[in-house]
Amino acid sequence: MLQNEQEYIRILRDRLEGTLPAEDLEDLLSDYREHFRLGKADGRSEEELFRSLGSPEEVAKEIRATHLVKKAEHTCSCRNIFHAVVATLGLGLFNLVFVLLPFLLLIAMLLFVFVTGVVFTLVGPAAFVYALLQLMGLPAFSIWLSPLAGIFLSVGITAIGLLLIIGDYYLARFFYLLGIRYLKWNIRVITGTVNE
Amino acid sequence: MNIQFKKGVLEICVLSVLAYKECYGYELVYEISKQIDISEGTIYPLLRRLKDEGFVTTYLQESVEGPPRKYYRLTESGRKEEHELKEEWMRFTAAVNSLLVGKNHAAE
Repeated sequence: MLQNEQEYIRILRDRLEGTLPAEDLEDLLSDYREHFRLGKADGRSEEELFRSLGSPEEVAKEIRATHLVKKAEHTCSCRNIFHAVVATLGLGLFNLVFVLLPFLLLIAMLLFVFVTGVVFTLVGPAAFVYALLQLMGLPAFSIWLSPLAGIFLSVGITAIGLLLIIGDYYLARFFYLLGIRYLKWNIRVITGTVNE
Repeated sequence: MNIQFKKGVLEICVLSVLAYKECYGYELVYEISKQIDISEGTIYPLLRRLKDEGFVTTYLQESVEGPPRKYYRLTESGRKEEHELKEEWMRFTAAVNSLLVGKNHAAE
């Protein structure tokens, strides 16, 4: 592979086009063009400049991850946070442990709370109806020892279920914001190559 | 030096250099890379982030030879950040150094 300015710019453009807004991309590319221009004026060859800049792929990865995390911070959505996490994962193998693992555990926990909430919410009314029927002596066998207590209990179950769902929403929001801060920190401090 | 370690430190270096003089990108990269062995390309993403966070601003300035250059300048909050990070760094390195030298053990 040729190690010259054109190639460096081409790789950056290839990797970032479509992700970064066109204006930002041009601004970034002009920074690297200026770097090559001044370096050459300094008497250094394009190959030498290319080598000391280091891998353009790594630079592109880092800029992509930074941009996608910023986007996820700006517009909260499952899709955006997913893209941000995937981009950050690409920055280093150890992010499988430091990003993917906590991310999956969080998803599993939020899902668990949500499903539990839904089950409670649905079971409540069913139990309520059953208790009513039992009061009237309709069902063949009784699940409630005391149908009257059953009525109160079933209302309680629904209430807990709804609270779990609402709580899960706030929990998800909390972890979303915390996750964004963590990803930013991760990109800033841990990942990416500073030295080739 | 350990790669991960250096990356975290690069931010203080960039802010510190900019604290005593406004630089264009190439100059800044040169100032830092003559002291620390880094992939010079990573400084530009860092500068973008610092600009994004409002720690630096950029302006174009004509040069004698060739087209105008993009200069970087610390903002007020950038100065504050630089000051805080530097203090923190000094305290931390002083503590680590004293452990490395074993001053504390000798004092016991």
